[in-house]
Amino acid sequence: MHQLTDNVLMLKVKSGDLDKLGLLYERHKKRLFGFFYNMNHNASLSEDLVQNVFVRLLKYRHTFTGEGSFAAWMFRTARNVNYDYYKKNKQEIHQKELSSVAFKLEDESGLNVKMNKNDEVAQLNQAMKHLSPEKREVLILSKYKGIKYSEIGQILGCSEGAAKVKAHRALNDLRNIFLQLETK
Amino acid sequence: MEQEQFDIWMMEYVSDSLEEVERKEFEDFLHEHPMYKEQFEKLNETWGQLDGMYMAEPSEKMDDRFFTMLHSEIEKTESTGRKPLSWLSSLAEILWRPQVAYGMLLLVMGLSLGYFFNEGTANPNPVNQTQMASDSDTENVREQLVLTLLDQPSANKRLQGISEVNKIKKVDDKVIGALLQTLNNDTNVNVRLAAIESLTNYLENPTVREGLVQSIVKQDSPIVQVTLANLMVALQEKKSIEPFKTLIRSKELDTSVKQKLETSIKSII
Repeated sequence: MHQLTDNVLMLKVKSGDLDKLGLLYERHKKRLFGFFYNMNHNASLSEDLVQNVFVRLLKYRHTFTGEGSFAAWMFRTARNVNYDYYKKNKQEIHQKELSSVAFKLEDESGLNVKMNKNDEVAQLNQAMKHLSPEKREVLILSKYKGIKYSEIGQILGCSEGAAKVKAHRALNDLRNIFLQLETK
Repeated sequence: MEQEQFDIWMMEYVSDSLEEVERKEFEDFLHEHPMYKEQFEKLNETWGQLDGMYMAEPSEKMDDRFFTMLHSEIEKTESTGRKPLSWLSSLAEILWRPQVAYGMLLLVMGLSLGYFFNEGTANPNPVNQTQMASDSDTENVREQLVLTLLDQPSANKRLQGISEVNKIKKVDDKVIGALLQTLNNDTNVNVRLAAIESLTNYLENPTVREGLVQSIVKQDSPIVQVTLANLMVALQEKKSIEPFKTLIRSKELDTSVKQKLETSIKSII
């Protein structure tokens, strides 16, 4: 059966065949959810943000030209949704972060004992949280299969080469933070 | 080689962006330059560890919310699209007088006659070809929609998926397979019954007949068992006798269903 590309489907949505957005949602929901979840580590918030992305894709469907890839357009929207959310909820998040820092300080020693040093995954997630959002997102995008660096460049608004350099720097920083956590 | 150039090359390698020849070239380079090799190994280790970062899956609630949003958006668009139509229909009511009706009838008759006499001489129309291409495109999209809907957690959506199947002019094996899978594994009896009804449209397909026969032993709902029995009698499908006998032997079978199956077997023989 002829596989309809994402771009063809989105152009159909643009021309009024809104049903096709359901297919695009099915294709991309997990990746999009993974993107937000790795950015904020909050499943329920990530689900809200996925919904917001699709609401926005529907609202701004007339702006889709089909020239770039749908995935790049979708992730660019996802970045904006994420940015807007944090801008809007800055005060609240700042307070939450402060309280979680306080909790961490209080509990640091106990937590360190509890945390299994061999548990690389937990440590890596900790290290990811210490990275800046820009570095975290470039790493998350680089890890997705099927997204090329040229598309990551489109998402981040830079050249393909710059996207690779950004990814390398982020990976390097992640490694350093990871090693620092390990020696603590 | 400049450091930044190597960094880019390394990222291309770890992210599988290089062709086979280019990968080999990179590996050879590392072999000849131990300092770069060391850098690569460190970074590659962290790259590999990143595989462990995706841990959570979205819930079904997310799907429900999305599809509710989409359907309400579709309804909104359709209702705004319908407004000019309702205006047209009220205009039609005003014009709907006997004189106008007779006039219209004559016009339609004239057009039909013209079309009938002109048909033989008409050249093949490129518009028809476009229409055919667009029809097959629509069919493809509809098939994909069916497959997506049949996979939804909500029974209503799956029923909607089955009703979409009935709109497809020529179904392929993928859709047939999805219908048979629904018939065998769906948790909802209504969905399974709808799947049977839909499959009866493709009885000339041997896969469908075979699938229906094989499904008999997989059913535990009396109403589905009886529906399949009725169908097999109507088809006079001899292959179904053995599966029915297997069902009759099972202890959990409802007594009245058992009698029904016995009668069905006799009718088929």
